[in-house]
Amino acid sequence: MQKLGDFKLPAFFNYPPYFTLQPVRDTREKQVQLWRELILDYCRTQKVFVIALEEEFPLFSNPVIERSLNNEARETFLSALVSEGRAEWLDKGHRKCLILWHRIQDWADLILSFVKDNGLEDNVMTVEEIRSGIESRGTELHGMDRTILMRALKLLEHKGKLAIFKGTSADDEGVKFSV
Amino acid sequence: MRRRPGIGGLQTAAAARDQYRLLGENVAKLRTDLMKEQLATFRSQLEDFARKHKNDIRKNPTFRSQFHEMCAKVGVDPLASNKGFWAELLGIGDFYYELGVQIVEICLATRPHNGGLINLLELCNLLRRQRKSDREAVSEDDCLRAISKLKVLGSGFEVISVGKKKLVRSVPTELNKDHNQILELAQAQGFVTVDEVERRLSWTSGRAIDALDILLEEGLAMIDDGHRDGKRRYWFPCVSSISSSIGADS
Repeated sequence: MQKLGDFKLPAFFNYPPYFTLQPVRDTREKQVQLWRELILDYCRTQKVFVIALEEEFPLFSNPVIERSLNNEARETFLSALVSEGRAEWLDKGHRKCLILWHRIQDWADLILSFVKDNGLEDNVMTVEEIRSGIESRGTELHGMDRTILMRALKLLEHKGKLAIFKGTSADDEGVKFSV
Repeated sequence: MRRRPGIGGLQTAAAARDQYRLLGENVAKLRTDLMKEQLATFRSQLEDFARKHKNDIRKNPTFRSQFHEMCAKVGVDPLASNKGFWAELLGIGDFYYELGVQIVEICLATRPHNGGLINLLELCNLLRRQRKSDREAVSEDDCLRAISKLKVLGSGFEVISVGKKKLVRSVPTELNKDHNQILELAQAQGFVTVDEVERRLSWTSGRAIDALDILLEEGLAMIDDGHRDGKRRYWFPCVSSISSSIGADS
């Protein structure tokens, strides 16, 4: 079994035709499904939040069989993720894609349980602290993408679970929990 | 016999005919009795044999296949009925029905990938993996037997020979001679190109492309435009399983 770091690659990754978009509908559906699962799985285990279509990405080429996905194939597979709510395009040109291996709602739930676990119910934290502070170390929140974090926080704010406010420094924002 | 005239002559001739017929019937009856006796002896011996080697038949695939062969030669099918004597004695009916169900499951599960055509060897391996408890106990012969029993269901399960390999078909696709020849050609590397098909089979390009298009439509082939020579390759998952294709291309 071929590996990427500690990530086990599925068998189809070594079968050359999976790197060419298949013209027949049924075959292509199966192909897209396999790739969709692989991309999501890889991003979840390797904590990848953004995939840029035209940049190097370990899954987009397999040097062992000398195959790589062309841009059309990359966009097709990522679009499949977007259509089921597991990813979002960051730009109109579809060049950058945000991967949501947890949906925004799930991220919001993770934040809530993090708050409860650490007794932060009425506390104030900065957004950066949630991402990289001591409290979040060892949780899934640690090192998470800022865009996704802000989206999850806004969702919680909408539900009245917290308030977002401008912090003292211009580039950071604060969060007041009221769970 | 000299032909004698008159009614007496006719009567004598009729009596002689009756005598001959009686004698003939006696001889025939004797033969049938002897035959019946032999068959009974044979049957009891076969039963004795089966009883004695019950465990071998169950556990040892080679022995099992030889036993089947022997039964087939004398016109006995131990799998004909699950309620019959053989099944009760050996329990092999259930064994093959179980295999049959597992084979159907595997064929369905791999169909999206291989289009409903799977290499018998790969099927056996998957079957063994699924039956972890007795990994060695299933032979190719057992698979073939179980598949032949599936035919009764009319579900289109069939074993076809392509070149040296046996493929199990679980979709009602009819493969014609052209398709078979392409599959046979593909066994060498797992893929073919249009050029190769034209050259090796001396076909026109239209014939090659038509046949390949149908194989694509049926989900039996996948295209690969990624090789550096720029020639489109047609891969056939049924002749080269994904796992065994590693390194085939490099």
